[in-house]
Amino acid sequence: MENAFTINQLNLKYGEKKALDQITMDIPKNQITALIGPSGCGKSTLLRTLNRMNDLIDNVRIDGDIRYEEQDIFAKEYDVINLRTKVGMVFQKPNPFPMSIFDNIAYGPRCQGIKDRKVLQEIVERSLINAALYDEVKDRLKESAKELSGGQQQRLCIARAIAMEPDVILMDEPTSALDPIATAKIEDLILELKKKYTIVIVTHNMQQAARISDNTAFLLMGELIEYDKTDIIFSNPKETKTEEYITGRFG
Amino acid sequence: MKSRKRFITDKIYQSLITLISLIGLVILIAVFVFVFNKGSSLLSWDLLTGDYYSTVYDGYYDSELTTNLFVAPDDLDSDTYFSTRWGIALKDDLDREGHDYILIVYVDTESPLANLPDKNNEGEMVYMASGQSLDKIIFSDNTIMLSSKGAEAAISQFESATGIKDIMFTTAGKGIRGSLITTMYLIILTLIVALPIGILTAIYLHEFAPKNNKLVNILRRMVEMLTGVPSIIFGLLGAAVFIPIVSTVTGTEGGNLISGSLTLAVIILPVIISSTEETLKTIPDEYRQASLALGATKSQTTFKVILKSSAPGILSAVLLSIGRIIGESAALIYAIGTSIKDEIIVTERSTSLAVHIWSVMSGETPNFELASAISIIILLVVFVMNLSVKMIVKKISY
Repeated sequence: MENAFTINQLNLKYGEKKALDQITMDIPKNQITALIGPSGCGKSTLLRTLNRMNDLIDNVRIDGDIRYEEQDIFAKEYDVINLRTKVGMVFQKPNPFPMSIFDNIAYGPRCQGIKDRKVLQEIVERSLINAALYDEVKDRLKESAKELSGGQQQRLCIARAIAMEPDVILMDEPTSALDPIATAKIEDLILELKKKYTIVIVTHNMQQAARISDNTAFLLMGELIEYDKTDIIFSNPKETKTEEYITGRFG
Repeated sequence: MKSRKRFITDKIYQSLITLISLIGLVILIAVFVFVFNKGSSLLSWDLLTGDYYSTVYDGYYDSELTTNLFVAPDDLDSDTYFSTRWGIALKDDLDREGHDYILIVYVDTESPLANLPDKNNEGEMVYMASGQSLDKIIFSDNTIMLSSKGAEAAISQFESATGIKDIMFTTAGKGIRGSLITTMYLIILTLIVALPIGILTAIYLHEFAPKNNKLVNILRRMVEMLTGVPSIIFGLLGAAVFIPIVSTVTGTEGGNLISGSLTLAVIILPVIISSTEETLKTIPDEYRQASLALGATKSQTTFKVILKSSAPGILSAVLLSIGRIIGESAALIYAIGTSIKDEIIVTERSTSLAVHIWSVMSGETPNFELASAISIIILLVVFVMNLSVKMIVKKISY
């Protein structure tokens, strides 16, 4: 089994506060890996470290290493921009830009210097089809993305990430702001996307992790408590803390 | 009982707030009514497009007057007098300064007066047209017509005359075209200078400068402080710094449009910086994160997403600045001077509408009516700018 990410002895501090403590784990390619745990356990922090979004926050200190396709992403000469084109991200709250649907999806490719209208049109259509949104918006690509419903906006954000043709998609609680029907649609979409992409998803919804993921990592207070196949974590966890958490005794 | 008391106090507060806001509204409306009342009578297209300086024409007519009679146009007022032999209509009127004069209301295209040989330049012609004033005529029998006698007397003298030794008439003058154009120039030149600097400074302060940096915070405080500095101080700066610099570069002397624009640019720079930064603060961080996560660089994020989303806010800042530019007078008195001009050249003196009002009011006989008429035009310019910016904002915001 090939790995997308190899995380080794990762420590992360916000100022003096330790957020991640000696995390070591591999994230396999073309599978869905779920990160679960109570609020503040460091699961979102870990996710944001994978495409170095934590760079944007002041006072973050990181040691240990993360290898993406055998390369150390914290190395000085490492190209972060390139990393982020390969490792896309979908956020908790749908955050389309205040532009048209078309421009939202064409934004990433345009930033990479693609100007040909035909090529962009093709990318936009393909991304929307892959994000299962095309039929709903094909007649109003010129309209504002802000007028879509929450679930549609989130699928638009997924389409926007797909447009970059990444290898990995990071998802930070992508359904927590959505109603159950929109959530179901996104989950179907994630399962579909698994065929082409490596997906890492943070969720505080344990049923969701159980439904869609192949592997599950349970984090608590910045430590990786247990990491295994999802069915093992949910049926036969080795750690008592994991068992307590998934049976709802705390968190 | 207690709830009844609370209900009454609430009602009292509500009525107090309504009453006080009404007072403010009434005052504002009263200002508008006053200005319109005073100035609307002088408002005309000629005021907008006319020269400020009037030109005196001097002509004569020594050929034989043809015998055909002219027909008065149908739309003449009852207080207008028409000469059937010369084909012109005259009327008594008050000029923009409040003095009596004879207004030329109509000149028939076939009238001998429509083109006369110039008395002062051999071979040249002078043209009489409606809107001019008739000052003095010496007829060929040496009778003299003076404007103080009035239009009716003038027409009766015309009817018996056969030739004219000397006729003097004057273009209207007191128009504000020059000052209007100067104001437009000032708006455009000032924004060209101030907008890029202001917007980029705000972007630097909010997007690129290190957060919680002492120096940056001091810079920000200073910018905020500058918004409150009286403009006359900037005017002194303009006179002391910009006028000499521009004079050296262009080889002209004294205040000019460029030094005025540079001074105004300094005045509105803090406004643009502060309001642009306020707008940038309202742009959700999610946009920045989404853009960066898509592999966009910092500058791509800033210009393609952040700046685009803040365009409506920046446009309001532009509107605020335009208001400031149109309304500025104190600083401009120093930075370009107060001389009213008809031909506008950017390297020379001229004056804006606001300073025009100032000079109209600061003469020996302050002219309230003309000042009010110019005020109405300023109000209209601001109103039109406001509307168009609102329309643009509606167009570009998603």
